[in-house]
Amino acid sequence: MTQTPEPTPFTQAGDTRTSAKISRDTISAVSVAVLCVLLLLSARLVSPALGSWTQVETVLVLGFFLVVLSYGQGLVILSGGLDLSLPATITLGGILATSWVGANDPNAWYLLPVVLMICGLVGLMSGIGVVWLKVPPFIMTMAMSIIVASALLGYTNGTPRGAAPTAAVALMKTELLGLPTPVIVLVAFVAMGWLFQSRSIYGRYLYAIGTNLDAARIAGVPVTMMQILPYVISAMCAGFVGIALVGYSSGATLRMGDDYLLPSIAAVVIGGSSILGGRGTNLGTVGGAILLTTLGTIISALGMEFGLRTVIEGSIVLFALLLLREELFQKLRNLWR
Amino acid sequence: MNINRMKTSVATAALAAASLTWAAQAQAQDGEKFKIYLSLSYSGNAWQSEAANIVKALAATPPYDTQVELIENISGTDPQAQIAAYESMIDDGADAIISFPISSTALNRTIRRGCDEGVLFFMYDGTVTEDCAYNVSFLSAGFGENTAQALVNELGGKGKIFLSRGVPGNSVDQRHTDGAMSVFSKYPGIEIVAEYYSFWDDRTTQQETAKALAAHPQVDGVWAQAGEYGVIQALLDAGRPLVPMTGENSAGFRRALADPEMQAKGLRGVSSGSGPAQSGYAFKLAMEILTGQRELEPQNIEYPLPWVPAAEVKICEGDSYTDGCNVFPESKVPSSFVSEVLNPVLLPEINVESALNGTPVPGATIQPLPADVVVTANNEPGINCDPCEAAPDLYKLTKVEATVQP
Repeated sequence: MTQTPEPTPFTQAGDTRTSAKISRDTISAVSVAVLCVLLLLSARLVSPALGSWTQVETVLVLGFFLVVLSYGQGLVILSGGLDLSLPATITLGGILATSWVGANDPNAWYLLPVVLMICGLVGLMSGIGVVWLKVPPFIMTMAMSIIVASALLGYTNGTPRGAAPTAAVALMKTELLGLPTPVIVLVAFVAMGWLFQSRSIYGRYLYAIGTNLDAARIAGVPVTMMQILPYVISAMCAGFVGIALVGYSSGATLRMGDDYLLPSIAAVVIGGSSILGGRGTNLGTVGGAILLTTLGTIISALGMEFGLRTVIEGSIVLFALLLLREELFQKLRNLWR
Repeated sequence: MNINRMKTSVATAALAAASLTWAAQAQAQDGEKFKIYLSLSYSGNAWQSEAANIVKALAATPPYDTQVELIENISGTDPQAQIAAYESMIDDGADAIISFPISSTALNRTIRRGCDEGVLFFMYDGTVTEDCAYNVSFLSAGFGENTAQALVNELGGKGKIFLSRGVPGNSVDQRHTDGAMSVFSKYPGIEIVAEYYSFWDDRTTQQETAKALAAHPQVDGVWAQAGEYGVIQALLDAGRPLVPMTGENSAGFRRALADPEMQAKGLRGVSSGSGPAQSGYAFKLAMEILTGQRELEPQNIEYPLPWVPAAEVKICEGDSYTDGCNVFPESKVPSSFVSEVLNPVLLPEINVESALNGTPVPGATIQPLPADVVVTANNEPGINCDPCEAAPDLYKLTKVEATVQP
């Protein structure tokens, strides 16, 4: 009777949960990275040229777009929303970079931040619609997407003109410190993103909002501002991807963003985030994006029918998702105990 | 997918509304005009926009400007939407429908109904197997086999090559590839090390080629469908030498072929393939039939295969293809611009501004097509006729001769 141990297990359980929460996110980020390396190494079976440093560089350059994009998508998902306007916003960034900046003065690098701001405005409108007008994020961002895409069709008459701004070309096509510039920029981008999401008060606010909006409001989180902000950042990331794509392929098209919507959501989910918000790390998302790009590179080297290749690609994504699920880590942790 | 579709349909609705008001105005001036519909797939890539723009420019050029009421409609990439669009056009009393068909078979029943009500159907670039429609297309002109032979000649009959294909499962991609394989399979020295789908898009081509380059350290040549400019960019990105290659008609590719710097890096090849000019040709044929200037039964009409080897690329100084020039400089058109949009013989009355903006050339009038212009196309089962027999010499070379033997 005197030895009722009730309080002790309670604190212990609490401690375990805190440590479990941190390690869970770390584990999922690490596992995605390990999976990438394994994939690259096993790729040697497909073709001896694969798995080389050249291929890693190719993957990082091709993955640049998805990493940047899924960071923005990740923030929106973390705060409990979803951004479907990414393809149109990418195209907006790309078209403004060529038809406005590139057509007038390709050297006007100082106009590129203005392009990002205009893209940010699209995000601001989505955010306002979601938070103040209470339109569901799915509908609001889809509507913005349609409006922006149609406006661009009208603006360009179907043929985007102009050349890529020199700054955008330099971003994608030069080398810095012996590495391709996009790889260096990518590392800097991920570091900044990590600081914002995991080490700043604003990042913490987003976790709070995504976990429980009412609790966050009561706790004094500026919920209105913090719910709009992810949409703005996401739209600016998409605009940045648009500019980068223009630098990469030296021109814009009206469908340049179409291939990126679903991969951006998939990268976030594979990276261990909850699609319902409140959980996940940006390092996991980066891993998810790199994993998807690596997979695409290897799959396209397989000499198979296109249909079969796509089936394999889909199966591996599904497998990765199942493998990285929380339950599995819980079981593993139990084994270690 | 659904989102894309919705996006397109909203854009379509907006454009349809705009063209309807325009149509209403036109009708107010003159009730006797021919009612001609222009039915597109997706407006949003350079090819489709240019094809639509030149028809609009022609319709605004005298004397067509007083004879034609042109109504544009965009159906997206869904055959059902185009069927519905055709149905409305037929019910609205169309005299002719000029169209890029989304499917070669799905539209047949609706086209048949339209023919029975006296509507002329003119398909451009793509074809339908319904025999009451006129197909105006380069498809039967042998893009695949001719470019493949040109590449084999450049490579001296041996080497490792990439195939950059179009859209998986598409009959046009299949026809091009079958034609090319009829040549490649004859040469044991030609090894296809990578084959990928680039969806006829520059950016996708660039990314897919970059992936293939990472996996294959050696490539000696590339056979590409539209999107070919991406191949050059991917090779340059990877720091590889350029190689002999064939592709379609992008301004970027043609300018590169003529660029001494690119040639020094190893670029050689030929620009061929699909041209938006087909829409203008189809429209003028339809008008000549409607106005009684030409008698022509529904049939498959071949658009001559564009064929511009590197040595024949010439950059234009003016706004049209005069003096044998065949590509516009970077200051005029982006690299994705499809160069085969003007044609000095078939479409002398329009220029580059018509292709970009749909505006007529001031002072120009419609010139009649040459009397003996119509070339009947070969039967291609499942592509422009069904059921029918394929011609025995289906993959006969027309533009090049084999200079190396297997």
